[in-house]
Amino acid sequence: MRPILDIADLGIAIAGRRVVRDLSFSIAPGETMALIGESGSGKSMTAAAIMGLLPPGARIAERSRLRFDGLPLRPEDDAAMRPLRGRAMSMVFQDPMSCLNPFMTVAGQIDEALQRLGTGNRAFSSEVDTGSREENPSKQRDGEFSRFGETRKYSSGQRRARILELLALVELPDPAAIARRYPHELSGGQQQRVMLAMALAAEPRLLIADEPTSALDATVQAEILRLLKNLQRRLGNALLFITHDLAAAAELAHRIVVMQAGRAVEYGPAAIVLADPREDYTRKLVSTRRMLAAPPQTPPVARASEPVLRIEELVHDYPARRILGRPFRSLHGVSLAIAPGETLGIVGESGSGKSTLARLAIGLARPGGGEITLFGTSIARMARLDRALRRRCQIIFQNPYGALNPRLSVEAAMREPLELLGLSNRDDRRRIEAALVDVGLGGDHLARYPHQLSGGQRQRVCIARALLSEPELLICDEIVSALDATVQMQVIAMLKALQAKRGFAMMFVGHDIEIVRWVSDRIAVMHRGRIVEQGPATAIVTAPQDPYTQTLMAAMPGSIGSATAAGRGEWRTPFKEHVG
Amino acid sequence: MTRILAILASLLRGLLQAAFIVMLTFFLCRVMPGDVVDVLGLEGGLSAEQQAEMRHSLGLDQPLPLQLVNWVGHALAGDFGRSIRFDRPVGEMLGTALPVTAKLAALSFCFGVALALLLAVAATARPSRWLDAAIDVVNTWSIAVPTFCAGVAAILVFSIWLGWLPVIGGLLVPVLVIGLDNAGQIVKSLREELREAVMLPHVRTARAKGLSPWRIAFAHVLPAAMPVVLALSGLVLGGLVAGSLTMEVLFGLPGLGSLTLNAIHGRDYPIILAAVTLIALALVAINTVVDMLHRLIDPRLS
Amino acid sequence: MAIPGSAEKAGLEPAPPSRRRWPLGLVLACAVVLLVVAAGAAAPWLTANSPLDQDLLAINQGPSADFPLGTDHLGRDVFARLLYGARSTLEISVAGTAIAFAIGAGLGLLALAFGRWPAAFLFALIDLVRALPGTLLALLLIVGLGSGPGPLILALGISFAPLVAYVTRATYLREAARDYVQAAASFSGGRLHILRRHILPNIAGALVTQAAIVLPRCIVTESVLSFLGVGSSPDEPTWGRMIADSSRFVERAPHAILVPLVALVLLTLSLSVIGNHLRRHLDPVRGETRAPAGDDEAEAATQPPLATAMRVSA
Repeated sequence: MRPILDIADLGIAIAGRRVVRDLSFSIAPGETMALIGESGSGKSMTAAAIMGLLPPGARIAERSRLRFDGLPLRPEDDAAMRPLRGRAMSMVFQDPMSCLNPFMTVAGQIDEALQRLGTGNRAFSSEVDTGSREENPSKQRDGEFSRFGETRKYSSGQRRARILELLALVELPDPAAIARRYPHELSGGQQQRVMLAMALAAEPRLLIADEPTSALDATVQAEILRLLKNLQRRLGNALLFITHDLAAAAELAHRIVVMQAGRAVEYGPAAIVLADPREDYTRKLVSTRRMLAAPPQTPPVARASEPVLRIEELVHDYPARRILGRPFRSLHGVSLAIAPGETLGIVGESGSGKSTLARLAIGLARPGGGEITLFGTSIARMARLDRALRRRCQIIFQNPYGALNPRLSVEAAMREPLELLGLSNRDDRRRIEAALVDVGLGGDHLARYPHQLSGGQRQRVCIARALLSEPELLICDEIVSALDATVQMQVIAMLKALQAKRGFAMMFVGHDIEIVRWVSDRIAVMHRGRIVEQGPATAIVTAPQDPYTQTLMAAMPGSIGSATAAGRGEWRTPFKEHVG
Repeated sequence: MTRILAILASLLRGLLQAAFIVMLTFFLCRVMPGDVVDVLGLEGGLSAEQQAEMRHSLGLDQPLPLQLVNWVGHALAGDFGRSIRFDRPVGEMLGTALPVTAKLAALSFCFGVALALLLAVAATARPSRWLDAAIDVVNTWSIAVPTFCAGVAAILVFSIWLGWLPVIGGLLVPVLVIGLDNAGQIVKSLREELREAVMLPHVRTARAKGLSPWRIAFAHVLPAAMPVVLALSGLVLGGLVAGSLTMEVLFGLPGLGSLTLNAIHGRDYPIILAAVTLIALALVAINTVVDMLHRLIDPRLS
Repeated sequence: MAIPGSAEKAGLEPAPPSRRRWPLGLVLACAVVLLVVAAGAAAPWLTANSPLDQDLLAINQGPSADFPLGTDHLGRDVFARLLYGARSTLEISVAGTAIAFAIGAGLGLLALAFGRWPAAFLFALIDLVRALPGTLLALLLIVGLGSGPGPLILALGISFAPLVAYVTRATYLREAARDYVQAAASFSGGRLHILRRHILPNIAGALVTQAAIVLPRCIVTESVLSFLGVGSSPDEPTWGRMIADSSRFVERAPHAILVPLVALVLLTLSLSVIGNHLRRHLDPVRGETRAPAGDDEAEAATQPPLATAMRVSA
């Protein structure tokens, strides 16, 4: 069987920087291929190249050969690619909220895709006539892809029916109601389903899914992955699945390509590669994944003494956006306590109020009601915390790109808390260096500016800065969610080791249940401004009581490399492999 | 419901703005050194008694807030008072001046916005160095060349050096000058906005659907850039007012601008007050309409 | 202010050629501005003629040995008026810009730093004035305040203050939402500390750029006001005033109007070229989208996940 997509020696350069080098792989009809890599590995650029959607300034190397169903693709020729897009191949993207046109209804946007199928009589046909083309290569160039030329023009009534059919296909409840809505009236999961419906409008032979679940909440991610799998089974399209998530790839893919820094480092059937990785990089990805799946066993903390932080019946409202509007209540009576040296994990999806809770806990915002007791002092009514309290608790933020002032060097940024908290003395520099060494950086980073550091390094600087005042409570607000998996693991392992050495308590806020479990002694699960369940980490993960916690745990990715390709006995490698 | 409230709120804000401007104008007119009676007194040699009597008959000896209330009361009834210098009803004088200015402003607006849209959309659809250079030139022109300088230069070149006298008679040159200025004020921001809108994820989705470039431009790019287009209308209005003022004076057009300016020089405050009120009301009305349009275009705002 | 040695040190890009070359347009623009400043400052030494002395026997004359650029309709030396005009044009517009910034940026920043209500009040007031275009507002203010350089400068300043205030607020709010501002607050940094240490340095670029945009617009507005007869006083003529005075004699003495006109356009043009370059180089948004790549990967490739953790606990 001829591959539906065949890529040989693909090279892409942006402004002279080579982001993809000598990449070769192919996808058989109906096959799922996963392209795995961390940020900057070139995986999304590869997808964009196949669709001809490369950003301006990107160049494809001369000797690259892309073939779609045997015919050469010219990604740089927009006019030549246009007839293929949305017909023979289509694509769904990462962030469905911004990928849907906010000014058009769902029906309008799908209708656009359907209307196009009628115009130009080029709707996709699955019947392929190959014989004549090879005999007459000159004619072939003129009428390239004209074989997707079966007429299938929809009338407006038919289109309407087809829209509802597509919305039902992606398992949206009440298609007629969804069709009338604007994207901002849908949830993230619904938006991504609409994107899928749009992409599948012409029943493409190749669907490219570029990180289709990474912008979504954990429970929704699992649903979308299952949907992708079901749809592929029903429609028989080939799927190029681009992800940084090994577990998701293991779940979906027949074969995988592991990319690093623009190169393919390993290639093969998913089950084999993930169970027995040969290359260092793949091995590291897999071991990170496995470490995460097997959290360290920590001895239970003795909870005798007074808690460092106690929160009772905390309520918080965001003020109304405009006059006569209703304020948005982000926390509905939250209660928790953290003992000295203990780590409490707060897990919840976006909008559950967990970050608000973190900011309230150390007095960066003021609650609408309830009580916050920090080291025995009630702070709920205090306008500002005094220095003595500030020294004892510190916060680290999510976005390592925003948490450091771009105009201050690492040294200047780290001097700031010392000066403001009245801890400054003559050996500041030595202390700052020691703090940097503690987080795996060194004195040579002192003079650097944030933009000269990687995301992981910036977050290490933030951790070092927060620990300068020897706090007894550290609040970590999604500190690793902007980082790549391997870097995430390095950062949390380092944080755990520092905690073992120094004995501070932690409130670890996150949306990734595996990471939170890895770090925490106890876990509180937040949902819509309430803590729905709270208890020892193992108990929450293995025996959740609350229905919401149960769905959250069910969505947790399984282990990889063992039974991944089970039930895929029909699968075998159909053609020779490009990667040698 | 919320949409109606939002529209009411923007109407209310518009009314407040208009009221504030009327008050500001009224008090500025009254604190200005030397009132109309002084001016007439100097010109006509009136005695101090005659001046006092004249002030009394004009109501100028009353406290300021009372004068304001009186004026607003009459204005709401359609009576803007009489011009002190010309002794004609102000309403009538405004009535003859308004069409001239309205025609000039409307024509300049259409020409300017059309030129700006044409350049910006063309440069987005088919990027070329020449179009970008043209946009830069038009933009720099409007920043660096005051409209009246352009007008003077046009008179010099066309009317004096080339001898095309009829050109000066009509509205053509003023409209071209103001329109070019307007286009220059907005074309650069428009181009930047469109350039960014093309990069938006939902435009990429539209490309991934295989839509034609024109369909993408009109259905996906332009709506995304629309809020900025509307916000830029403030700049256009500012340019229109300044442009009309100078062009009317330079080309001797009997519009609102000339009327206001003559009134300012002659301290003929009923005319100043009425004319500025009229201009302010028109601007506030346009701004409010623009605000509502913005809400209508973007479903997220309703 | 500029961040030194950015990309090369991090090894992200191949080192660019060492010296950055200034574009020709920028060099010319700077030269024009410097020339105008020098002409204004050295006016008394560059010409012996007074800009105000009238010679009614020599009106509307072309260039000659006595009058290098001719005379205007009252027989005044155009060259002398050009030099002295440079001085008053710059004085008035720079002072106007300074007042616009004192009100818009100074007052705006203080109001923003001191909480919701002061800022809400100030911007509600500005919002009310905003409906009037700057030229009309300045015109009305001069009507109320009287003529002369003082009221003119004040009117220019007030009419540009809303624009400056809006830009200030937008950039302030963008910076205030950053995590590093929150972090500074968590180290008990006060409002003024945060304003001085974190916000001002990061919005300074935007404000400088805005000043370079407002200055030429101030010059243009001043010239429009002069043309309308309410601008600078006759005994301290600006270029705008010169154009306005000569505009009725354009037929008989085109040089008297062309000289200040060309000078004015050259100056505003140069200032706006400089403004554009400033915007390109001081744009605070520029740096952050360019996420550095590579370092994590390099780090990741050489260390197993637990290496750092072990080093810490050892």
